[in-house]
Amino acid sequence: MLNNSKNQLNILLTKNQIIMRIAIRYLCFLVVMMSAGTLYSQTITGKVTDNENLPLPGATVIVKGTQTSTITDIDGSYKLTNVKTGSTLEFSFIGFNTQSVSANNSVVNVSLKPSSQELNEVVIVGAVMKKGDLTGAVSSVSGDKLREVPTPNVVQALQGRASGVYVQQSAVPGQSGTIRIRGNNSLNFGGNPIFVIDGLITDSNFENINPDDVASMEVLKDASATALYGSRAANGVIVITTKKGSRSGEAKIQYDTWTGVSEFARTIPLMNGQQLFDLRVDAYANRYMDENPGADRAAYVNQIKSNGSTVFAPYELESYRTGKSYNWLDQVTRSGFQTNHNLSFSGGGEKGTYFVSFNYVNQEGLLKNSDFKRYNGKINLTQDLKSWLQFGTNTTFSRSKSNYQEGSAFGVALGANPLLPIDGKSTYLRYGEVFDQNLYNPIRSLDIINSSSRNRLTSSNFLSAKPLKGLDIRTTLSVDIADQANFDYIPSYTGQSLRNSMDGEAHHYRYSQFNYQWDNTVSYSKVFAAKHDVNLMGGFSVMSNSGNSTDVRARGFVSDDLTYMALSGAYQKDNAQLSSNFTDYSNQSYFARANYTYDGKYTITGTVRRDGSSKFGPNNKWGTFPSIAGSWDIAKENFLSGFEKLDQLKFRVGYGMVGNQNVDAYRYFALYNAQVSNNSGTYVSDNYIDNFDLRWEKQKQFNVGLDTGFFQNRLTASANYFHINNDDLLMLRNMPVSSGYKYKLDNIGATTNEGIEVELRGDIIRNKDFKWNVSANISSAKNKVTKLYGDATEIYNLGGYSNNEIQRTGNFFLGQSVNTVYVFQYDGIAQQGENLTGVNYGSRTVQAGDIKIKDRNGDGVINDQDRYVVGDLNPDYYGGFSTDLNYKGFALNAVFSYSIGGKRPSGTYESYMNSGGMSAAHTDLLDRWTPTNTNTDVPRAYYGGGRYTLGETDKAIQDASFLRLNALTLSYTLQDKVAESVFLKNVRFYVTGSNLFIVTKYKGYDPEGGDSYPISRMVVMGLNVSL
Amino acid sequence: MYLFNQINLKNYFMKAKIIAFMAVAIFSASCSSDFLEEEPKSSLTAAQAYGSLGKIEPVLLGAITNWRNMQKDRAGLYTSLGTDEAQQGALQVTGDANQAGLDLYNGFLSQENQAIGQLWNDRWPVIEVAAQTIRALGTNTEDDSAKRDLLMGEASFLRATLMFELTQYWGEIPINDKAKTAEFGLRRQPLPLVYSYIIADLERAIEKLPVSQSNPAFPAKGVAQALLGKVYLYAPEASGHRDYTKAKQWFGEVITSGKYSLLPNYADVFSPDHANSSESLYEWQYTNNWPDNNQIQWQTGSRVLANINQYAYFGGYDLILPTQYCYKDKTDGGIWEPGDVRKEASIRYDFTYKGVKPTLPAGFGGDELDPHIKKFEDIRVEGKQSFWNSGKNKAYIRYSDVLLNYAECLNELGNTTEAEGYVNQVRTRAFGGTLPEAMKWSGLSQSQFRVQILDERMRELAFEGWRRMDLLRTGKLVELVGARNKWAKQNGTIAAFHNLYPIPIGEIKLNDEIGPENQNPGY
Repeated sequence: MLNNSKNQLNILLTKNQIIMRIAIRYLCFLVVMMSAGTLYSQTITGKVTDNENLPLPGATVIVKGTQTSTITDIDGSYKLTNVKTGSTLEFSFIGFNTQSVSANNSVVNVSLKPSSQELNEVVIVGAVMKKGDLTGAVSSVSGDKLREVPTPNVVQALQGRASGVYVQQSAVPGQSGTIRIRGNNSLNFGGNPIFVIDGLITDSNFENINPDDVASMEVLKDASATALYGSRAANGVIVITTKKGSRSGEAKIQYDTWTGVSEFARTIPLMNGQQLFDLRVDAYANRYMDENPGADRAAYVNQIKSNGSTVFAPYELESYRTGKSYNWLDQVTRSGFQTNHNLSFSGGGEKGTYFVSFNYVNQEGLLKNSDFKRYNGKINLTQDLKSWLQFGTNTTFSRSKSNYQEGSAFGVALGANPLLPIDGKSTYLRYGEVFDQNLYNPIRSLDIINSSSRNRLTSSNFLSAKPLKGLDIRTTLSVDIADQANFDYIPSYTGQSLRNSMDGEAHHYRYSQFNYQWDNTVSYSKVFAAKHDVNLMGGFSVMSNSGNSTDVRARGFVSDDLTYMALSGAYQKDNAQLSSNFTDYSNQSYFARANYTYDGKYTITGTVRRDGSSKFGPNNKWGTFPSIAGSWDIAKENFLSGFEKLDQLKFRVGYGMVGNQNVDAYRYFALYNAQVSNNSGTYVSDNYIDNFDLRWEKQKQFNVGLDTGFFQNRLTASANYFHINNDDLLMLRNMPVSSGYKYKLDNIGATTNEGIEVELRGDIIRNKDFKWNVSANISSAKNKVTKLYGDATEIYNLGGYSNNEIQRTGNFFLGQSVNTVYVFQYDGIAQQGENLTGVNYGSRTVQAGDIKIKDRNGDGVINDQDRYVVGDLNPDYYGGFSTDLNYKGFALNAVFSYSIGGKRPSGTYESYMNSGGMSAAHTDLLDRWTPTNTNTDVPRAYYGGGRYTLGETDKAIQDASFLRLNALTLSYTLQDKVAESVFLKNVRFYVTGSNLFIVTKYKGYDPEGGDSYPISRMVVMGLNVSL
Repeated sequence: MYLFNQINLKNYFMKAKIIAFMAVAIFSASCSSDFLEEEPKSSLTAAQAYGSLGKIEPVLLGAITNWRNMQKDRAGLYTSLGTDEAQQGALQVTGDANQAGLDLYNGFLSQENQAIGQLWNDRWPVIEVAAQTIRALGTNTEDDSAKRDLLMGEASFLRATLMFELTQYWGEIPINDKAKTAEFGLRRQPLPLVYSYIIADLERAIEKLPVSQSNPAFPAKGVAQALLGKVYLYAPEASGHRDYTKAKQWFGEVITSGKYSLLPNYADVFSPDHANSSESLYEWQYTNNWPDNNQIQWQTGSRVLANINQYAYFGGYDLILPTQYCYKDKTDGGIWEPGDVRKEASIRYDFTYKGVKPTLPAGFGGDELDPHIKKFEDIRVEGKQSFWNSGKNKAYIRYSDVLLNYAECLNELGNTTEAEGYVNQVRTRAFGGTLPEAMKWSGLSQSQFRVQILDERMRELAFEGWRRMDLLRTGKLVELVGARNKWAKQNGTIAAFHNLYPIPIGEIKLNDEIGPENQNPGY
């Protein structure tokens, strides 16, 4: 029979006169060899059950490598005819691990084990992998977990969910926060990880991702996991797998919605009018007495508080005398409102699956005129063209639109003079009679239009051929297209327009990006002798990104009616500004991966990737990034077979190298930009010196980890230790200006970064009616600068308006952390009668009541040498924990995040503490030093400069530790019978409070979100229902 | 059975075709070798920018624009602060301690001073473009040698004028000569070498530059000659290059060229209607629109007017005000003599605006209605643009300056009588065209002349940026500023070491060849 078949093949080949390569002929030969052994057939019956021995109706049974398949009936039984002996049957059901069984008997019963995630495949650089094959440090977060925090933003939803992942929320509606995986590695370029969404790599616009579409997120943290992304993986990789339909044939309609209101979570206590009045009196009198020692303070105070005051304007005296205080902030803020609707359809049949979803998000911000709207549509399809050929697409369209309040309005309103009556007509606000041209009237600023919209299409499309069992040839073409338009208009009557004499300004900014990625892989997997599981994969990939932007500012409009929509009406032709930018960059990569598992116990994985990037100099475009990792599941060893409560004890170790290329295109060139001056075209240097040796930043990562599971995996724990050596760090370095340049992008120095991560999860109670599970994670990362260029021991971050001021953060010191704070040491408040002549404070005023600085080097002079590294901004520990309580249909879920030991200055707090009564003041200044209140850390009131300020000292470096309740949810799920009586399924109502409280000593707005815009607290009500 | 196999075989061939197609496509894509070559699209690389004369010209004009930009706004006035003719307004002194240090000569006038950092940082990148241009022209082989010579003259002038400023204020400075990068490094070089470079650059500029340029942004021969005269006159003795004979020779070249003359009416010199006049050897070119406005009025005007109407053409924010010495009459201890029209043209005493005489509101510094600088007022913005848009051209070297410098050379060379003649030429215009006998300079001794010429230069050239250098070269900075500048006098800490600015901390921290031990003494 076998010979017969071979002969016929040979005859046919010659008959058809087809000339093919020997290799392909050989492939066909192999296929024939395999099919030849399967010609005897039989009928097979059996029953599919779950782990509790209950029948599983609707499970799919496929004869592998054929189109023969069936679905189990109501009691889980099935029947397949004409199955060749020795075939493999594959049993699958959503939510369970797929199981393969050889069809050697006529009855095959199978018990499926539930999978921890619905989907256990992920797409990695164009190749499909089982999640279990991701060796290395990986944290998984299921889509359901993400949705426990009602937010349209995946980044925010990730907070506190995975060890080693540090998320800082953004307070601005629609904006993603920042994510750091395993602390800081790169010094200047790129902290955010890349997102790989169904195989498409993206490093921006995360706010366009709809959390409702996410089936699972895998955070790849170490080199053995990320090595396949070699060149772009230095900051970690977050793989997002979106939902897919199931082949079960059952269609599913799912609707989710929530609606809520928000308010400011914290406010900064500022002085009211009366308090500020007193502060100003004190501040002026103190200065007066400094300048006129021995003068009559009381008489001066009396004068400045009287009519005709040289300090207070009549309106201020009036407010003071009548006890009035005005809150300007109320004029620009409101309650926020958010709503989210999500509708999806999914299903499939024998040959394909579909998942289609629609999402609408509307957030009205806490600042008037600020909002964010997003419309998402997604379609995920897979279809079998042939039994061995499949294609599919994961395509998302997203449109987002936001309006935001003019940048100065919130800050100006917050810092407005509480003695100044609310007035929507004045152009600028005042302290005294001084109109400050930086204080645009915030009420008028509300009329300024700032809008932004973005359309984004991401589409990842694959064709997969499986000509042989275990062989998968896959090609994937992905595009990421984004078009953004910002339109702004400044009406002619606002200070912003008047100050700059522009009679209205229309601003158009358009940005367009086209990104394509083409991944091609060949993978092969086979189990030899039932114990040797081999996976091989090799591939080639190209990526190219083209972006361009146009920026136009047109000025001079005869009326404000047409806003930004009629540029043709801008008459100030000489006062228009035009600019544009075109940028291309590209990557080329080759990669290979080999994975060998022996007996399900020992696994070893080797990966190598070679990457070329157009962003690097001609001398160093290419980099090679290898990795190797191994694991050992000790629980499977015979000597532990007696420990039945131990399900998993997997030891992992890995070492590898990844790279970072996250710098601007063309940045190794010194560039000359086109500019117009006096109607002449010119080229002007951008002050960068060229660096043709610019090369890859490299990270050598070592990771060792342990994954354990006990009591049928009711208790799982995972721990990792990592150590990362970062070399050739990409760094923007200040040049000595006498060289003729100010900046150089360079590969400088090295840092180390090490830490631990622990994740715990336990199903503490698991009864029919009552369930309680908890999970917690903790992470820590410590970094250190181990080398700078040459024998340099520090690199200073210069700033200020002339680049001649050493900044307190952003400096690098050999042997110190990356995120140091470099300031003077606070040495208390000078007291009356204290001898202050021992230290030369230069020209600073240090009198009784002023801040003293510690002369750290003891040379009697306070200067640059006395600054020191007070600490670093990194938290010592951070993470999150959550708890789920379920009783019958009720569930209570809480998600916390925390951070311990981080430091953070607050510029906002410092500026309010610096007030001399001619600007807004923090109520902490009520405890200021006076001759009768000497036991305080708050210096005396003073109007004028020349004293040491809080921000120059270590006292400004606040403890930013916090505990935050991210979300607290109470939900009720209708009993199935009740739901089904109205033809619904899985009906769940819930109410969630997000960001309900935060415990922190930090005096700025938020220890995470920073100063400029406070974080909100929100209460939402939601509904999930499926049909 | 046969049928079965035939179907299967069709299947195999299709598989083979599809897979072969995939393989060919992948293979061909992986072979493109120039896929990673990306050149900037919206900018030029240095190789392109200096690669042809047609591009060097706009590159050089860009550098000249940056040189002009140094004269704008606040930074364009920093060197005039802390002199005996001008000082900060009271509110400004209480605001920014760094800036206040420029007048107070206190501990804030240190290497960490931001204002001084800006002066230093702005100048070097322009020198770099000039040096790169000179290097590129040396190897350029295009046919148009006239164009090459012209560009060489312009670049040489540009490097010289900036090095001259830097060395005047900081003393020893690095030299940017692309032919000697390895030898010079970024070290501070001795004064004789620095000045010899400046002189060589200017000699080359004089040789190559034309008598006039159609675009007034480019320097012509006359300004290079005048500047070389100034270099010989202003060079410190320690440089070995102070030479009154050579200075006189180069100023003389300007005077005998016949190209330049004084405008009959002094006020016209500061009128936008007389831009690039016969009196101007070079002026920085501005307009009323950003980025070509100069914002100087914003710094020199009065906040009281700004409070009334931000489109009042003499409003501003009081960064810099005349000293009492500069605005008072001689009889009150100032400089002004009766009949000198330059007083009213240079300084605003009356703040009446649209018939209203303003008063000082609460919360102000107190000196906002004291006399203010008038030379930069730009009537063109009145009522329609903010004084921030002020944009009259600003003089670099005027012919009257050349005459006064020439007179000084004559005096130093012992020819005081002839020197007086040139001063009187300037004074004749100052007194409306007829110089009263009592106001004529005559019979002065050499040393009397030296004293009086300093006042005459203040009257003629106040706030035009030469005062600090005049005080430095005559060694009078500490004495006169300590006595005449309100803040310096009040603080009483001005000392001899202040004759040089400190090297900014940024340079010291980042430059391996300029360490703390190379800082100017006293800082």
